[in-house]
Amino acid sequence: MDEFANRLKEDAASIQVEVSPELAVRIAASIQATECETGSTNISRRQHSFWWASSLTGLAAAALIIALLNWNAADESAEMPKEQIASVVPEYVRQLNTGFSLKIENADFTEPLEDELAKLKSDLEKARNNVRRDLKSAF
Amino acid sequence: MDSDAQLADAAKAGSDAAFAVLVERYQERLLRFLLTRCASHADAEDALQDTFISAYRYLHSFDPRWRFSTWIYRIGIRKAIRQNRPEEAAAVDPVDVAADPLNDCIAASEHENLWLAAKRVLAEDAYTALWLRYVEDLSIKDVAMALDRSVSWTKVTLLRSRRKLGDELSTE
Repeated sequence: MDEFANRLKEDAASIQVEVSPELAVRIAASIQATECETGSTNISRRQHSFWWASSLTGLAAAALIIALLNWNAADESAEMPKEQIASVVPEYVRQLNTGFSLKIENADFTEPLEDELAKLKSDLEKARNNVRRDLKSAF
Repeated sequence: MDSDAQLADAAKAGSDAAFAVLVERYQERLLRFLLTRCASHADAEDALQDTFISAYRYLHSFDPRWRFSTWIYRIGIRKAIRQNRPEEAAAVDPVDVAADPLNDCIAASEHENLWLAAKRVLAEDAYTALWLRYVEDLSIKDVAMALDRSVSWTKVTLLRSRRKLGDELSTE
């Protein structure tokens, strides 16, 4: 090392510095505070990862159950014989269907409403005629 | 005694005691350096505290290919720059030489301290490069890494700084 470099080193060493006990305590305390902060961050990270893992597991389980149910249902419908399907229909439904025409039944159900509508139309026509008559007599 | 690399590894693995040893080892050296870069003694102490906090917080990102001293000085340089931002240093008069904290720390001598002269004639990066090279004995590559500069820039800057400082001394 040359003379110039030596002098740079010596002059740097002649700069008197001392880390006061207060500063040392301050540094130690701030590092400790950082340590606590870092620790709590790690815990929250762990909680986040746990939340994600449990959610994904739940979703995967739900998807699996739905897939299994659909698969079983599809199999059953595909393999079910016609006789078996017929037996599912209750007896009283078959009796209802064989007794009368559904068209007639619908007409029976709507007839009162149609009558009411006709009456309303006739009332409206009467009222209109009355108004016309009054207008003619007035002018 | 454990090396810096061993202590840094242990600290990275979670040993607070190892980090405490590193703090003990570097606090005085760093404070001396920061005093040359900050506007006041209080600023230098704040920068020192911030340096160790950041080092502890980002220890997980420490690359063992670096020397620990290079890494910690790099953090220290950034903290010093932050302390010297215009809004932080607004209260300090930049031309007030008497306010320089170095003046209080240098004992009276027959010749002027070279670092006071260096502070007067060199740019901040050149001053830091000179300090890291000749006081901390960092290699040119490490100085370049600490300053985030190229090796060639560091070489040229060191050479020019020595010449400039030599000229300053010869004119006195």
